[in-house]
Amino acid sequence: MDESDRLYSDAVAKYGSALERLARAYEADADKRRDLVQEIHFQLWRSFQRFDARCSARTWVYRVAHNVAASHVIRERRTFTQLVSLEELERLPDQATFAADDHMNLERLSALIQKLKPLDRQVIVSYLEDMDAAAIGEITGLSPASVAMRVHRIKNILARWFHEGEDHGK
Amino acid sequence: MANDSSGNDPKSIWQSQPRGISTVTLEKMIRRRAGKLHRKAIRERLGSIAGPLCTVAFSVFGIALAYNPMQLAAFAIAVAWSVAGMYVLNRGTWQGRLAEDAALATGVEFCRREIERGIYVQRQFLLWVFAPIVLAVCAFVAPHLASGLRDRALAKSIPFFSLFTLWVILLFVFRRLRWKELRCEIEELNDIEKENKL
Repeated sequence: MDESDRLYSDAVAKYGSALERLARAYEADADKRRDLVQEIHFQLWRSFQRFDARCSARTWVYRVAHNVAASHVIRERRTFTQLVSLEELERLPDQATFAADDHMNLERLSALIQKLKPLDRQVIVSYLEDMDAAAIGEITGLSPASVAMRVHRIKNILARWFHEGEDHGK
Repeated sequence: MANDSSGNDPKSIWQSQPRGISTVTLEKMIRRRAGKLHRKAIRERLGSIAGPLCTVAFSVFGIALAYNPMQLAAFAIAVAWSVAGMYVLNRGTWQGRLAEDAALATGVEFCRREIERGIYVQRQFLLWVFAPIVLAVCAFVAPHLASGLRDRALAKSIPFFSLFTLWVILLFVFRRLRWKELRCEIEELNDIEKENKL
């Protein structure tokens, strides 16, 4: 096993499940999603042949994964399929209803993320993966102020879609 | 970024999603993906030469039937244009450089590159596939229209040419709309980069 294979195996052991979650944010169809996960793994394995420790392995893995997935969204998108920014999503009327079932809530959350433009998806997925603003900035290339503003919007949107829904359900 | 303790917390909903069961080993996965990429590259190459090849075939047919030098010249240009198009459209492939680009570029940089690439592909299609087709068909139809459709066979093919005209217009409109969408996205990324510099 050479160095790049070892790096790839370590990355999969550490971030394998996060990569599957990430794919859910970019592809709703289960078959296409499986394909996307494989594509991410393949590109990740290839990318490690050029890994030079200029950034952390985590940043490297998430950059490759997000960028491969963003490329998938840009290529698969059809004319008239409108994706929105976080700002526009914040202004959309609340369509959420509370579901007691975790699976339903996950579907709702995924559908919400899949409405967004690729760059905003990168921010929301990183936020949901519990990353701090500096890590999100390193992956996306956004400034700390821009990340902070987006995270603030994400918190508002999620609060509206999930906590208000919870109140209705009680 | 503290976690919400609520059971309806989006972070815990997201992080506790079930994993797909995968029994694929690294070697198997790489072999499968490499095979898939190879097939995809062949499909894309065939797809990109299909239009120009049809134009060449149609123009050669037109050259055999041409009865004035202008028509002959137009068909010859359409052939040369399509052959050049096949060469241009097959130079370099996207797949080869994805891994390194994806790792070294941030999200903003990568999205910009992909969108710019989309705009480039749109432009290449219009220039190297669409335009020679239109030229060849116009070269075929124009002399007949000028002579008042005396050729009965051509008069019968009016429905075909009407549909062709409709296809040309619709294709052009859709491509223009897609191009505008991509331009808007580039503008948004410009704004984000301006914000980043402030």
